[in-house]
Amino acid sequence: MPSHDYKTAGAMTKTLEERLVGALKGESIDRRTVLGGLGLAGAAGIAGFSNDVAAAGDHDDTKHHGNFGAVGEYSSTQFDPHEYLYQFNTGYDGQESVEQEVYFEGDQRVRRFELNAVDTEIEIAPGITFSAWAYNGQVPGPTLRVTEGDIIEVEFTNRGRHAHTIHPHVKNINPAMDGIPTNGPGVLETGESYTYRWKAQPCGVQFYHCHSLPLKEHIHRGLYGVIIVDPDPEQVRENPRDYINYDGPMTDDLVSQLVTKAESRNHEYDEGEDVNEMVMVMNGFDTNFDGDNEVYAANTRAFAYGVGDTDGKGNWEPGETKRPIQVDGQQLQRVYLVNAIEFDAINSFHTHSNFFDYYDHGTTLTPTLKTVDTVMQCQAQRGILEIDYSDHEPGLYMFHAHQSEFAELGWMSFFEVV
Amino acid sequence: MARSDGGTNTVNKPFGLPRWLAAILPIALLALVIAGFFVATPFAGLQGSGAPLPDVSVTHHTIPNDDTIVLHVVNNGPEDVTISQVLVGDAYWNHQVMQGGEEVRTIGARESAQVVVPYHWNPGWDLETALVLNDGTTIHHTIVAPEQSPGVSGDVLWTLAIIGLFVGVIPVALGMLWFPFMQSMSDRALHAILAFSVGILVFLAFDAGFEAFEIAEQVPGAFEGQLLVVLGILGALLIVQAVTKWRSSETGTPSGLWIAYMVALGIGLHNLAEGLAIGSAFAIGRVSLGAFLVIGFMLHNVTEGPAVVAPVTRGSRPSLGHFMAMGALAGVPVIFGGWIGSFAFSPTLGALFLAIGVGAILQVVWEIGGLISRNGQLGSSLNLLGFLAGLVLMYATDLLVVL
Repeated sequence: MPSHDYKTAGAMTKTLEERLVGALKGESIDRRTVLGGLGLAGAAGIAGFSNDVAAAGDHDDTKHHGNFGAVGEYSSTQFDPHEYLYQFNTGYDGQESVEQEVYFEGDQRVRRFELNAVDTEIEIAPGITFSAWAYNGQVPGPTLRVTEGDIIEVEFTNRGRHAHTIHPHVKNINPAMDGIPTNGPGVLETGESYTYRWKAQPCGVQFYHCHSLPLKEHIHRGLYGVIIVDPDPEQVRENPRDYINYDGPMTDDLVSQLVTKAESRNHEYDEGEDVNEMVMVMNGFDTNFDGDNEVYAANTRAFAYGVGDTDGKGNWEPGETKRPIQVDGQQLQRVYLVNAIEFDAINSFHTHSNFFDYYDHGTTLTPTLKTVDTVMQCQAQRGILEIDYSDHEPGLYMFHAHQSEFAELGWMSFFEVV
Repeated sequence: MARSDGGTNTVNKPFGLPRWLAAILPIALLALVIAGFFVATPFAGLQGSGAPLPDVSVTHHTIPNDDTIVLHVVNNGPEDVTISQVLVGDAYWNHQVMQGGEEVRTIGARESAQVVVPYHWNPGWDLETALVLNDGTTIHHTIVAPEQSPGVSGDVLWTLAIIGLFVGVIPVALGMLWFPFMQSMSDRALHAILAFSVGILVFLAFDAGFEAFEIAEQVPGAFEGQLLVVLGILGALLIVQAVTKWRSSETGTPSGLWIAYMVALGIGLHNLAEGLAIGSAFAIGRVSLGAFLVIGFMLHNVTEGPAVVAPVTRGSRPSLGHFMAMGALAGVPVIFGGWIGSFAFSPTLGALFLAIGVGAILQVVWEIGGLISRNGQLGSSLNLLGFLAGLVLMYATDLLVVL
């Protein structure tokens, strides 16, 4: 009989509820409330003791509750997360620390890069160093930017103490090029070199990392980086359905819309100039080997895109090394976002006071999520965010991981819209 | 003068050397060897690049007001350490590292510092804090149910004096009021009472001893807490014993009054440690120990009165002045302990005081044993039961003061 069942369910719920309330009450009465209450009564009863002797006195109102955030500035100049945001290596042009060139094999364009693995010390929070394993001495490794259909040629040399590889997150049809211990050259021992060749496909924001064992450690120590594969507008025009999650009629309008989008995402087209493109790798560092990160960041350095010095009441000064990302409000902001976190299942990106379009893995030219202010990424998941601040007033807009623990441990940032 | 070591004339000039030189020679040679060791560094090849690991401890915390937490930090290691960041509740938090009124980041070997964190804490809600060193090492410290520390003031001194009076002096004095009754007892019953007080003292020795080893775990590694406790116990025992022997070699066997004073001293040292516990509870904001603890200690300490006066119940009654002096010796240290504990608390000091108390108590136990066996049979069934009764009573009253 349904009515009877409802009754039972209701009673059961009530019992559980009461038990929960009882349990919670018991917990607090147990030790704290009673002890504190009795104690104060006792002390006061015996000696007329007042326990606010020292409470009166120095109340510094500006820092009433204190502020979270790392104290001090970064001292190492090896890596600048503000520079890293905009450092793309295309083979034509890129960082001095990355040997690169472009050559043709017939019609096939090859973008060639030299990467090496080294052991180094990096600064991950002001005054805190971490023994990292790093591609070309930086964490994250250099960002490689190519056009779909190109060959990405990476001559990899291992100069570290341990054996390393490079495993690409691209559609790769040759098992020897997979960069894992069992295939192709396997792991490369200290001093060994190997040249990987991968077809740049599909378009999107892709990922590379070391695939030696123990896997957790090789990734967590810093051996990862970003490959951006720009869509080729010509291919988009020929096969528009490959770039859209849509089965309806493919009108000319829709095709030209997709082509325009592809041009805007391709670094070789002028349309890209209107967009401010940034790379952000969400990462973390376990400094005490307990399998839990002590530092979280976007691009390695905790709070690097924070405000520097603030009183928590809107008065702030940019720091030398900790300062917001200044953006032009009239430009579209495009973030190539990669989650390289280790020891935590997911990470996230949340914008304050704004909503954005999200392209999961960046493999489509229409958003997979429209008008959201928070996205979640599992390990190695990545995507492209397009954020529009054109109707916002100038000022600071926060963005951070919406795991508040991560935010308070360093993955907390600001855009300063000007 | 014969120079052969087979000769008999080497007593005054071993190997033909003057006595003073012979005494110093091994030390001089040792100095030479150590110097040579530093110069030659024979282990250099074995060392590798393994630097010693940082060894930092948070000895305790104080909470001066509702917006501030202060962590008291000691660098135990042989190398400097740098405190780069501070976590409160798994969040990076602003803070200052203070040493002698100056802001620092690096703490030298064996030095201490205070980490001052502006944090609006909630009374009774545990706080997880961690210091993050420059190499990423974390030093964790949990502040259980934070309460404000009273700080230094006349009020606090007065409060602690009053508490000390109630916990130490009054119960011991009350216990001593059993004196006339004990005088009227037979030898057998009196011995049982003495055995009973031995029971009390033995229990106190265990109680304080365990406590000392427990606190020793918080002692910064460099001070070797456990061994410090061992040294304190044996040291106190041997010093008190040496003093007693020295006195008895001048005046014959120790008098009952002398033993009574020794009992009072032993109990006084134990009570000093009790005072330390109360005072340091104040210092770390555990004002709430309050009523329960005071009542518990009162019951507990009232049994110490008869233990003090038992040795003097035979023979002529000492003057009232002696009674007051013994009462003060046994009870007043609670007040001093309270003051020391609240203003200069350190686990090192706490463990050491407790250990000294244990040593003094053990010596007194020995002494009372001697007193009984001089006039009667130490292991009589009544005495054993009295001893057991002392243990049981202490255990029972101890239940009231479990922190």
